[in-house]
Amino acid sequence: MRAVETVARLLLIEDDEETAQDILGDLRGRGHVVAWAQTGPDGAAQARAEPFDALILDRMLPGLDGLTVLQQLRGEGHRVPALVLSALGTVDERIRGLRAGGDDYLAKPFALAELAARLEALLRRPADTRETLLRVGSLEIDLITGTGRRGTRDLDLLPRELKLLEYLMRRPGQVVTRALLFEEVWNYRFTPKSNLIDVHLGRLRRKLEAEGEPPVIHSVRGIGFSLMPDD
Amino acid sequence: MIDPFRSTRLRWAAGIALWSVLLALATFAFVYWQTASFLREEVAETLRLEVRAAAADPAAAAGRVDTWIAMDLHARHAAGLFAADGRRLSGNILAMPADLAPDGDAARVPARVDLGERTIDDEIWAAALALPDGRTVVIAHDTDEIDRVRATSLRALGLGLLPTLVVSGLGGWLLASRARRRLAATEAALERVMRGDLGQRLPVGARDDEFDRLAGNVNRMLDEIERLLHEVRSVGDAVAHDLRTPLTRLRARLERTRDGAETVVEFRDAIDQGLVWIDQTLAMVTAVLRIGEIEHGRRFAGFAPVDLAPLVREVAEFFEPVAEDKEIALSVTTEPGIPPVAGDRDLLFEAVSNLVENAVKFTPPGGRIRLRLARSGADGIVSVEDTGPGIPESERERVFRRFYRAEPARHTPGHGLGLGLVAAIAHLHGFRVEAAASPEGGARFALRCRSRPGAVPANIPHEA
Repeated sequence: MRAVETVARLLLIEDDEETAQDILGDLRGRGHVVAWAQTGPDGAAQARAEPFDALILDRMLPGLDGLTVLQQLRGEGHRVPALVLSALGTVDERIRGLRAGGDDYLAKPFALAELAARLEALLRRPADTRETLLRVGSLEIDLITGTGRRGTRDLDLLPRELKLLEYLMRRPGQVVTRALLFEEVWNYRFTPKSNLIDVHLGRLRRKLEAEGEPPVIHSVRGIGFSLMPDD
Repeated sequence: MIDPFRSTRLRWAAGIALWSVLLALATFAFVYWQTASFLREEVAETLRLEVRAAAADPAAAAGRVDTWIAMDLHARHAAGLFAADGRRLSGNILAMPADLAPDGDAARVPARVDLGERTIDDEIWAAALALPDGRTVVIAHDTDEIDRVRATSLRALGLGLLPTLVVSGLGGWLLASRARRRLAATEAALERVMRGDLGQRLPVGARDDEFDRLAGNVNRMLDEIERLLHEVRSVGDAVAHDLRTPLTRLRARLERTRDGAETVVEFRDAIDQGLVWIDQTLAMVTAVLRIGEIEHGRRFAGFAPVDLAPLVREVAEFFEPVAEDKEIALSVTTEPGIPPVAGDRDLLFEAVSNLVENAVKFTPPGGRIRLRLARSGADGIVSVEDTGPGIPESERERVFRRFYRAEPARHTPGHGLGLGLVAAIAHLHGFRVEAAASPEGGARFALRCRSRPGAVPANIPHEA
């Protein structure tokens, strides 16, 4: 399931050729246009010269550290979304990355699908998060009253299920990973056993499809989930 | 012992000998100085009195001079009476000593003395006084006595020095040998330890002196090193073992797929399964690294006041569906009024999650898990009780060790790191975690969260 509608112009700043080729191959395969810089100064120069939709920066770069590059760009007023990659997986490192102006942080080793999903999340930040009445296909939720409907049928949703559904409905067609869901819906950072998230989604799914309606939440094997409009 | 100066024994012997010699020298010098000045003062006082007596009656002065000379049979006395022009009138001093002031005080001056058979030039102690008629009377005493004292002192010193040297050197040698013998035993034991025999311990004497205490401390240090090494070794073995299992499976699967798979779907299935196994191994490696990271306390950036009650309720809510699927009743109660603790919210959630996850794993269907936040003084106690098989008392300490799996857990999936992670997180926060028996027969894990507002816990070294 490749639900990429956006073609984004991306800049990858990564010194390791092997890793870079894997990332380039994957992202280009998803239809993105990706430029590659191998050093910090080169990456900074490219980022200044051309408008990109997002940056992917390695934390450790020869010549100029990834975070320094990012800080420089932010200091010059570049607001381009940035995802920081690092072999340093510690939480303190993550906080440092976000403080330097990163919008997301991904520790190596990571699944390429996780990187792609997070990039898409960065590229397609929901336009209006203040909207309280969401509608995707036959699904409808009202965040003020905390109620949901599938077609004409009222859904009996627990608060967490409502949050989960809201998150998915704000990103229809987008693949979200378990880690992303846990971070954004539960608001905690670590990698819980994957089946825990699956069980929550399974419950939500059963409620959405209780009367034999067609599925709206689809599992994307090895990656996560995606909510597809049913019309 | 190639270089003699590197031998403790020799250095001790030489040092003690040198010290004794210096001490003897100082003593002799002091005794000599005291004796000589006493004698000098004695002679000077006699001379002063005598010259005054001789000068008291100018008419009898010549007689006094002769009497003084005659008084001493050993020819140590000298005297002279000189005219105003320096001519000798009487006595055995041939000429008026040039440097002698006629003031009645004693001084040491060179003079020529007539001893009857011969004339000698010698230094004498002399006192002179001028008489009213211009003559000068000199009363003197030779310096031999004082010089003899000096010679005797020096000879005694010379004679005494050698035995002092020998005796003190020997003493130093003996002392050093004794210390050396004790050191040799210690050194031999250390040598064996360094060669890898960590079971060796240093000999500890019964005297409980500094040396014994040092040996005792080294022994305790060796105990700790041995324990840590053992732990590292068993962790290393466990990691290797646990990594090998999925990797072996992966290898076999890849081989089988390459030879036997024919359709893209089959290949894709094999790859998906392979990815799952790789993710498992990566998760384990990550967990080991995380425990290391947490244990070394490199995680204070995320510390902030954490409210335990909502956290505990969120953990319960997170696990509720899994528990329900397994037909386990998961209940949660939180006592109000527990002050926030200083901590890392994500890590605390992870710690409580791991406890609940463990309970879910070991509680059979139809069982019950109670997650509770209770108050104990200012502390909050998060406890998880289950109706699983429980943990034998002998293993309650060990379950928190990395890769340790209690007997009932041996055949359930898992990497044995969950409780190790809980222990590391508790330790980072300065909290305590304990395993016990639950009233319903299962296990009870309790995390005692000390609330120390504003305090960032110190990085306390890992304890046994």
